[in-house]
Amino acid sequence: MNPFSAKTMAVARRELMQRVRTKWFLIGTLGAPILLVGIMILSGLLMASSLNSSDAAERSIGVVGEDDLLEGLLVEELLLDSIVAQAAPDLDGLSGLTLNERFTASDWDYLLFVPRMEAPQEGVTGPVRVDLLARDNVQGGTTRQIGGALDRAVLRGLLSYTDVQEQEARALLRSGTLDVLNVSESGRAQSQDVFQGLSIGIATLFYMILILYGQMIVRAVLEEKQSNIVEVIVSSLRPAELMMGKIVGVGGVGLVQMAIWAALLGAGVLTMAGLGLFEQMRQAGVDLAAMDLPWFDLGISLVMLVLGYLLYAGMFAGAGATVSTEADAGQVMLPIIMLIVLPFMAIQGVIVNPGATWAVVMSLIPFFSPLVMTARLLLSEVPAWEWVVALVLLVGGVAGMAWLAGRIFRVGILMKGQKANLPEVVRWIRHG
Amino acid sequence: MRDLDLAVPEGSVYGLLGPNGAGKSTTIRMILDIIAPDRGEVEIFGSSDVIGARPHIGYLPEERGLYAKMKVAEHLAYLAVLKGVDRRLAMAAARKGLDRVGLGDRADDKVESLSKGMAQKAQMLSCLLHEPRLLILDEPFSGLDPLNVEMFKELIRERRAAGATVLFSTHMIEDAERLCDRVCMIAGSRKVLDGRVADVKAAQGQRDVAVQYEGDGTFLRAPGLVQRVADQGQYAEIRLEEGADAQDLLRRAVEQGVRLSRFEIINPSLRQIFIEKATEVGLSAEDESEDEAGAPR
Repeated sequence: MNPFSAKTMAVARRELMQRVRTKWFLIGTLGAPILLVGIMILSGLLMASSLNSSDAAERSIGVVGEDDLLEGLLVEELLLDSIVAQAAPDLDGLSGLTLNERFTASDWDYLLFVPRMEAPQEGVTGPVRVDLLARDNVQGGTTRQIGGALDRAVLRGLLSYTDVQEQEARALLRSGTLDVLNVSESGRAQSQDVFQGLSIGIATLFYMILILYGQMIVRAVLEEKQSNIVEVIVSSLRPAELMMGKIVGVGGVGLVQMAIWAALLGAGVLTMAGLGLFEQMRQAGVDLAAMDLPWFDLGISLVMLVLGYLLYAGMFAGAGATVSTEADAGQVMLPIIMLIVLPFMAIQGVIVNPGATWAVVMSLIPFFSPLVMTARLLLSEVPAWEWVVALVLLVGGVAGMAWLAGRIFRVGILMKGQKANLPEVVRWIRHG
Repeated sequence: MRDLDLAVPEGSVYGLLGPNGAGKSTTIRMILDIIAPDRGEVEIFGSSDVIGARPHIGYLPEERGLYAKMKVAEHLAYLAVLKGVDRRLAMAAARKGLDRVGLGDRADDKVESLSKGMAQKAQMLSCLLHEPRLLILDEPFSGLDPLNVEMFKELIRERRAAGATVLFSTHMIEDAERLCDRVCMIAGSRKVLDGRVADVKAAQGQRDVAVQYEGDGTFLRAPGLVQRVADQGQYAEIRLEEGADAQDLLRRAVEQGVRLSRFEIINPSLRQIFIEKATEVGLSAEDESEDEAGAPR
């Protein structure tokens, strides 16, 4: 049977048109990004102003730590930028939570905590993580100024080791061993890693797409039953064509929505460029144009999203066919939603260690791969065979689910009233 | 359903009769391949390719509904498109059909804004727009208001005139008697009667005689001729023995010198035949006479 017959497309077209024309679609599609773009522009403006200004010179800055040499060098380098930093004997020798608590009670505006700098071994050195403790948000300019001084201090510190040539040390710096971390009062780190942000962002997007559009499919299936029309429909086409049409149609709604969002994003970028924000950011050292996005990995992710949608759409359609009321629908959707939530929760752990065995295994399982493999691809080097296997398994999963859901759908769509129990559903699958 | 063998000749109006729960809807669903029979087969237009025949079938199920949020004309066009009609032609046919039933000005309103009677008209159109060669209607007149019943009969007649075959189920036997060429009666999941309405009546009929007389009533009790009699002295209703000829009874009355002011062979209604047949298979016909109490005539 051709799953993309003219009838399937007619069903898909109806689903698409019916949904795209609603008020909800207009509000959801335009409202959300307008809000988002508004926030983007606003925060862009704020960022630009904070990127250019630094209050480091007016603040009282304390320095404590475990490395006297680096401390001294840092104070010297800061002074070159007319920033006065002093040793903070009242906080010396403290660390962790105690330090945070004592700091917030002290007179210091900012506190720099300098850890011991390890001697480089065979040209390798661990990152020197200096914490900048502050009660309020630190202006971008301040962070950048102190960070610059720290760069120079670390370089000088490395040079003090007799066996390190300047060339080598610069190379170490460029390879990004220096990691400035600014810590707010709550102790939460503001990650500066673009890819962590990107992978969390994309995982969140995938997660929301799967859940939102999955629910839309269940509603589309329920509509057939609640309109009392399903008998007429299945006298004109096969249940499988009806199911496929609904899945394609709702997927089409998603594509239309994303196309609109992409257009809005483009408009937002142009607006920001028009306001000269990018120029300001570039001057401040944040060059978005130079950012090297992993287009190939993003491409694989997109393919995985489409396949993941088909997999979950089949599950939602099959589940939707076993019930007749909204309340029952909520019940059968729950386990499926849990299956989507699980990998989403796991993303936090994947970020910490993208190569962990459990992360690798999860990224191969069809139900989880769209989210977990995407995160791994963006966060680390994934061997080609791993994502190839994940894709193959996912395609197999989609085919298997289509078969299974088709059999459940075929019988279930004609059922009315009580929701079908598991043994019944198993019988449908067997005898479909 | 058990061992149902049904042949609907092309171009006929065929009635599927039976009390509620007899299996009429189930039979129709099996014909349409909505549910699969445990065994047996269905042929439509002389071919077992039921799926291939679907574009030429118009089906109105007993339980009717339309998508509430869709515009009326678009909805009708969508259903026609699912039957393989070109989208633009379908839209034109939908508007034309709506004009025909007096809903032309509601074509672009949503289905949910229609009154019940209007929705019924839209549903009638939904099974006709693609000009099917076979109309399958499950209890088509149940729940319709009298005006809509007349309109629907008119629409069905038009389709019939265009050469279409009509198969419909009903528990309203009077409807079947007026509309059908042929009927099949189902009771207790079995076929109890099948054939042309005239033949069915002929086979069953010509056995009831009403007599108005003056004189000796003994002729009414002729052995071998009369099965039973309800004699009221001057008026009697007689059920003849199977195979007996009413003419023989008339002759005996004349021979005995009885004066007759009326001698009438009563054609039994399908209803009577049905009740008798249903009772034969041990099924009470109480249900459907109750159902009919409030039904439109």
